[in-house]
Amino acid sequence: MKAVLTATLSLALLSTAGAQSSRQSTLVIGGDFSDLITLDPGVSYEFSGSLVTGNLYDTLVAYEGNNLSTLKPRLASSWTVAPTSTGSRLTFKLRDAKFSSGRPVTAADVVYSVNRVINLKTPSSFLYTDVANLKVGSVSAPDAKTVVMDIPKTANPNIVLALLTFNIGGVIDSTEAKAHETNGDFGSAWLKDHSAGSGPFMLNRWDRSAQVALDVNPNAFRRSVNIKRVILRYMLESSAQQSAMNSGEIDVAMNYTPDAFRDVVAAKKLKSQKADSFMLAYLGMNSAKGMPFEDARVREAVRYAIDQDGIISGLLQGLGRKTQTIIPIGLAGSDPKIYYPYDPEKAKALLKAAGKGDGFSVDFFVSTGSCAGGVPCADLAAKVQADLAKVGIKANIKQMVNSELLTAYRAQKAPLVQVSWSPDYPDADGNGTPLADYNAKSLAWRNGWHNADASKLAQSAAIETDAAKRLNIYKQLTALMVKEGPFSILYQPSRPIVIQSNVSGFNQNANGDVQFEKISKK
Amino acid sequence: MLVYIVRRVALMVFVLWGVTLAAFVISHALPADPAAAALGNNAREEQLQAFRVRNGLDRPLAVQYGIYMARLAQGDMGASLRTQNPITSDLRQFFPATLELTLGAVVFALVIGLPLGVVAALTQGRWPDLVARTFALLGGATPVYWLAILALNVFHEKLGWLPGPGRLDAYSLPPPVKTGLVTIDSLLVGDREVFVDALRHLILPGLVLGMYSAALLTRMTRSALLEVLSQDYIRTARAKGLTRARVIGQHAMRNASLPILTVLGSLFGSLLTGAVLTETIFSWPGIGGYATTSAISLDFPAVMGVTLIAGLAYSVVNLLVDLLYAFFDPRISFS
Repeated sequence: MKAVLTATLSLALLSTAGAQSSRQSTLVIGGDFSDLITLDPGVSYEFSGSLVTGNLYDTLVAYEGNNLSTLKPRLASSWTVAPTSTGSRLTFKLRDAKFSSGRPVTAADVVYSVNRVINLKTPSSFLYTDVANLKVGSVSAPDAKTVVMDIPKTANPNIVLALLTFNIGGVIDSTEAKAHETNGDFGSAWLKDHSAGSGPFMLNRWDRSAQVALDVNPNAFRRSVNIKRVILRYMLESSAQQSAMNSGEIDVAMNYTPDAFRDVVAAKKLKSQKADSFMLAYLGMNSAKGMPFEDARVREAVRYAIDQDGIISGLLQGLGRKTQTIIPIGLAGSDPKIYYPYDPEKAKALLKAAGKGDGFSVDFFVSTGSCAGGVPCADLAAKVQADLAKVGIKANIKQMVNSELLTAYRAQKAPLVQVSWSPDYPDADGNGTPLADYNAKSLAWRNGWHNADASKLAQSAAIETDAAKRLNIYKQLTALMVKEGPFSILYQPSRPIVIQSNVSGFNQNANGDVQFEKISKK
Repeated sequence: MLVYIVRRVALMVFVLWGVTLAAFVISHALPADPAAAALGNNAREEQLQAFRVRNGLDRPLAVQYGIYMARLAQGDMGASLRTQNPITSDLRQFFPATLELTLGAVVFALVIGLPLGVVAALTQGRWPDLVARTFALLGGATPVYWLAILALNVFHEKLGWLPGPGRLDAYSLPPPVKTGLVTIDSLLVGDREVFVDALRHLILPGLVLGMYSAALLTRMTRSALLEVLSQDYIRTARAKGLTRARVIGQHAMRNASLPILTVLGSLFGSLLTGAVLTETIFSWPGIGGYATTSAISLDFPAVMGVTLIAGLAYSVVNLLVDLLYAFFDPRISFS
């Protein structure tokens, strides 16, 4: 026994001779991938899910790199949008492409992939059914290389194209999916942890909570530079990621805390990137009758009282951008203007005008854990509380788990809440409708804020196809919202990315997508 | 003996039923909507409602519990609200990692705690005893998360002696899953390199997790042995001319092992459930992380599953300890 033990221990202490050649062609990314539930592109609705499926599957159209306003061909080499008597018709011509199985990608696969999502009623189905107004049969394949999509007048073809770039638009090898179908699930149980796409990589295996291993897809038309395998390692803690980065065990880390990231930037040993996002961290102010924020002047007072610069430079260490309107920077329709410079005196005057000169107290709902940009929610809330206290508003912090907070917020029961929002698709309407239109029963509704003009503007912007006209409507909407609306935008967070110096081509766009095939390692 | 085991197993079933009831009531105490937790911030009302209906969350709690228990009786723990996977397959996936880590921690605790305790007892009041007692004090008082971060920083980052977080090196693909214990699975396919890698990955988290237990074992071993060494029969044995080693090894240790065994049993149980922090910091894909995520996202079936398996582990270990008692002490009988 003793001999065995000694042998084992001495073995264990010997350094393993890892194959150096494979290190050269393997990219290891450390991050918090705990939100990963499935790798089925039609079902996945989480950040990590999109990140991975974007490299396993191809969509018809796509955004390249950080340009999220120009659609680029992907599986569709060209497309046209034409008005019809009932709405519009989108016609896509497919390029030559092969799935990882070696089968050609055909128009039938595209039709199957769309219908499958509609039939499955997945968390993201509503994008097809409610936003694009598609039904089974809306998409057809006149021949193997042509896909036709008919949408009614109630849907905006530009938004439809934008949401086709999401993982929901990933085209699946229908033969493969049908072969693995159980109880009419369109292969979704199998596709949870297998891949059947034409993307630059294919799934080797997914060890849940441990790692996802992708191998290069030899049949792909998006060729990887020199990376043959990508490993996404679950590392939830910034401290673990820092250890592994400093020891060279991982090539990229995605979840440094703002403080740790600042140190990396200062030390200059490792590369660092601030990746943009479309997320907005904001305060929701309940404006329903009898609620503390019923009077628009009180809401304006809050916007004057919040020291955004202090939050961004202090708490976030620069990992965030300052903006005040409901459309995030980077989407057409965003307004960079600063309407409310930090001005506690003005805030006090507004409170006085609203008859609350002596201040008031309000329950402030805050989540436990981490908030947008990796800052502890409690720290952010403490800063907001201090800012509000300076103008006489006493915010009583009530900390609760996110699910509890969300439940109260959804029930219009949060007087003042600190949350964040990411649009469902990279288009101004992804924020316009939920934040401005009470009838959408989303954020405006949750804050008891009902404004007929805002609803009308949001609805008309959603279906306006003329770009110039649309921008004009958003200009009116953002100006109205920033003055009247129930939100005080805190910041638009950036994502901290830390990269080893021998790795190049890593880029995360505001959607959170990373094209693994563009990355190379020296 | 057999009658005793049957009786204990029957009791175990009763206890576990109590555990399900308690877990069910407690996990439903939060005023939060599991549908909203599962589908997130952007989900629409009609999606939430469909989810509630599909998962039976729209029914009265008593009915939900009844349905759960009826399914459980058939060995079906239901499906996770968050991942929509069967709970049984989730547990099968995550439990082995925790078991492996816990076994590692117990081995370390034994290897460190037992000899230290024995040495301390035999050198009572002299410097080795002082060293052992200092260790017992420090090891019992050090917060696990602090120790974990420190260990990673020193032995992985600074010295590079040991690998970082995870169960395996990122560059070696894990062996095919048979038992779920990477060490065993790699041996099964004869992959020596992966086996060694898995062992090396086990050292830091195992030591960190086992530190508190090692300290406790040191204390327990020392006091149990001191207790025994002052007994008459030890003096008799010595007087008969037996060597010191034989007296301690055969007579003293055998009687001192009972309290040690008790501690070890309860330690094993608490390690299984107490691995959350260690697992988080070492990115160890075990039941701890699963339990935390499930609790935060109000995944009731998953929380129930974890609670049940923890209860089961506790009960089984306790039963084994009681049975081992008889082996060590012939005076105990189960008839």
